[in-house]
Order: sequence, then structure tokens, then C-alpha cells
Amino acid sequence: MREFAVFWGCTIQARFPFIEKSTRLVLESFGLPYRDIDGFTCCPEKSLVNNVDRGAFVLTAARNVALVDELGLDLVSPCTGCVSNLSTVKGELNSDPREKAEVNGLLREVGREFKGASKLQHLVPFFHDTVGIHKIKQKIKRDFAGMRIALHYGCHMIRPSHALKNDDPLNPVKFDNIIRGLGAESLQFLTKLMCCGQGLDRVDAHDRALDFARVKLKELKAIGADALVLCCPSCFLQFDNNQFLMEKEGEKLGVPVIYFTELLGLALGYDATELGMTSHRVDCSPFISKWEALSRRPSPSASMEAGLTGPSALG
Amino acid sequence: MLETRLNFKLLEMCSRCGACYSICPSCMNIPGYDPREVIRDILSGDHERWLSSRHIWECLECHYCVEICYQHYGFENAMTALRMVAAKKGMHPPQVKRGWDMFVKTGKLGEPALPARKKFGLPEPKASGGDEFRKLYALLKEKRGEAK
Repeated sequence: MREFAVFWGCTIQARFPFIEKSTRLVLESFGLPYRDIDGFTCCPEKSLVNNVDRGAFVLTAARNVALVDELGLDLVSPCTGCVSNLSTVKGELNSDPREKAEVNGLLREVGREFKGASKLQHLVPFFHDTVGIHKIKQKIKRDFAGMRIALHYGCHMIRPSHALKNDDPLNPVKFDNIIRGLGAESLQFLTKLMCCGQGLDRVDAHDRALDFARVKLKELKAIGADALVLCCPSCFLQFDNNQFLMEKEGEKLGVPVIYFTELLGLALGYDATELGMTSHRVDCSPFISKWEALSRRPSPSASMEAGLTGPSALG
Repeated sequence: MLETRLNFKLLEMCSRCGACYSICPSCMNIPGYDPREVIRDILSGDHERWLSSRHIWECLECHYCVEICYQHYGFENAMTALRMVAAKKGMHPPQVKRGWDMFVKTGKLGEPALPARKKFGLPEPKASGGDEFRKLYALLKEKRGEAK
């Protein structure tokens, strides 16, 4: 496996350092060759930067990709937005030599060059494709059998597909495969692929953002999901923080929101506090206590195995 | 330099299709949000009235429309173009202005939360590329002949 730089992005480092914590714990447990490198900036956030100045959007993303290009590293990020934006610009420049030359003309003046050779991956498809589910299964100490998990892919994990090329953009399966690999049931529900709506919270439309959060959270409550699992800081903000704000207004939905790295961390044997899950705004303890109660119950095979291996077995 | 254009030929096809309308989350959840109306106005040269509409900022850039579009073009290109024109006229929402200001000043949308990093035993954050970014952005503006 090629060495890779982790692109943390602004939101995780500024608002959710516990996500960085669980990601590091997981990467280290698997002994993955990751590095932190100097010089990254905002990816940049597309809806914000691209709308105001497209040139700044392209140039900033190209510069970030140039940093890993130079070091001969790949890039992996626990943020869907960052990977989607960087990949969009990488794909665009690789298919448009004239724009690429224009960008490199400017980058050269600060001593950089965009080659567009490095692989850019989001953490979930990275675990699916590069680490592999068999490896995950070997490594975990406890699975999630009996737990009912609702997945939220996050639009930018899979779209735009021409730039990301990592899953079916309208019927993705990789995240589901991993969750099933961890032994949990991945629930299928109407709003599964609905956009979280957090973007509305960045354009002075907070109430609309809450409307979006409410649609999905209400369905999850109705079908009795044990948790909403996702791997995007923006979606996390939407479902954890905004759910908490709704709770404060008296609308109790009570759906724990768990980051992919936290779920994996739990399976690897870390506890919720170590993983920083106690920093969530919406309480995760209903999920943890159900899981613990399940693991105290003997597995269905226990008594039969005892019969086969005990002193009276087979004479 | 590093700018974009709308493809009116493709939009002409869009005006007769509307597949995106069936999958767009904003169409489903925001009353009055309708790509077909916007495209019709753009094609008839009447895009101005959308510049002050909050609907153009309610496109979530989820890229669903691009994926379902048989031209792989998508309604989002029309919305992005309208947002760009609106932003050039200074008509973007205050929150977008604040975010942009922070981005241009620091190259980031937030600095690492240091006390929390300590609490979780996280390493010192790596150096930001903010200075180099500002230099690069100044070069871009210079090249376009804009004031620094």
C-alpha cells in the first residue's frame, strides 16, 4: 500500500477534534502508512468559494493536490466534501490541458506543480477497496450483530461520480458492505440517500436546514434505527448539532449519530470516551447500552458448542 | 482567466426534459423551488429576476441532477451560474460573505481547536499553507488585471 497523507479539512479540526482522534486510533490500529504534511489549506469548500470566485476554487484545490503530488503520496480524507472538491478539480484539470497549463503557470510562481497523479480517496471507499472487508473482519474484537444501523452516505462520498469514480452514484453499496461486514443490519429506508441539507445552514436558511434534518430523523425514529452512521463532518453537524437544537426546542428525536471511525473504533475495542463520543451533542449512550446488553447475552451457538466440546461430548 | 460559461444548447434540451425535478431534494422539500422555471427564464434572457431569489442559494450541490441527467449536464450548472452572477453584484447571503472573507484572509474556514486537541492528546496541527495561498491568489488577481 502506498503511503498517504491525511487531509483533515477545516471543519473536523476546528469543530470536531474528536473525529480526528477516532480516525487516528483506527488508522493506527490497522497499521496504515499515513502521514501528516505541512501546507494544506481549505480544500476549498465548493458552495462557498466557487460561487464567489471560480478561479480561487480551482487554484486552491490544485495547490492542495500539488502538495501530495510532490511528495509522491496518495491522499485520504475523513471528509466527503474535501475529497469531492479536490477530485472535481483534479479531474477537470486532467481533462483540460489548457486550464492545467494556466493553473501551473501560476503555481510555478510559488514553486509548485499540479501533476494530478496522486490517488484521492475518502476514508469509507478507502477501507472498502484498499484495506478490505476481510481485513476489517480479522481485526475487530466485537461485531455489531443485532444492531440496526441507518447509513447516511453523504452526497459527496459518491457524487459527482465522474470525478470520484468510487461507487454507483444513485445506488451505492460500499458503505453498506462495510457495515454488514461489521455484523450490523444496514437498514433500507426511503430517505436513505436524501441529502442532509446542511448546505442550507451556510446560506442563512437555518429553518430550512432543520426541515431537512427533521425529514430523515423522523423516519429513523419511526423505523427504530439504533443509530445513524455517517462519515462527513458537514452531515454530522446537521444531524448531531441541529438535532440537539431541535431537542432544545422540545422536539425530542433521540437518534444517536455515530461517525464511521467511532463505530469501527468501538469494534476494535476502544471505549466511547476514548473515542471522544462523549463530546457529541446528542447522547450516544442508548446505542452503547443496547450493544453492551447484546454482548452479555450468550451467542446462539454457545450451548451447542459447549455440548460438542465439553467433557461429556462425543464420549 | 479560470472562468466558466453556460452551455445554452444543452439548457435548451433541459427545458424539454425535467428529469432532475424528480430526484432533486430541494425540489421535493422546498415549496416553489423549480428548475424548469429557472431554465425557461435563462433561455428567454430573463435571468435577472432570479438573482435576488433565495432559491438560487437553496441548491445543495448534491449533484443528483448531474447524475440523473442524460446529458450529464444538470440543473446545478444553471444555478451555479446564477449564484456567480449574483455574487459578482454583491447579492450573496451575508453568511456566504463572512465565509468568503475568512477564506481569503486565512486560506481556511476555521483554525484547529487547540484546547480540545490537548484534551484528546492530538499532535500539534501541521503548518497551514495560508501565506502561500494568499500569494497565489494575489497572483491570480494580478493576472486578471484586478486590483490587489
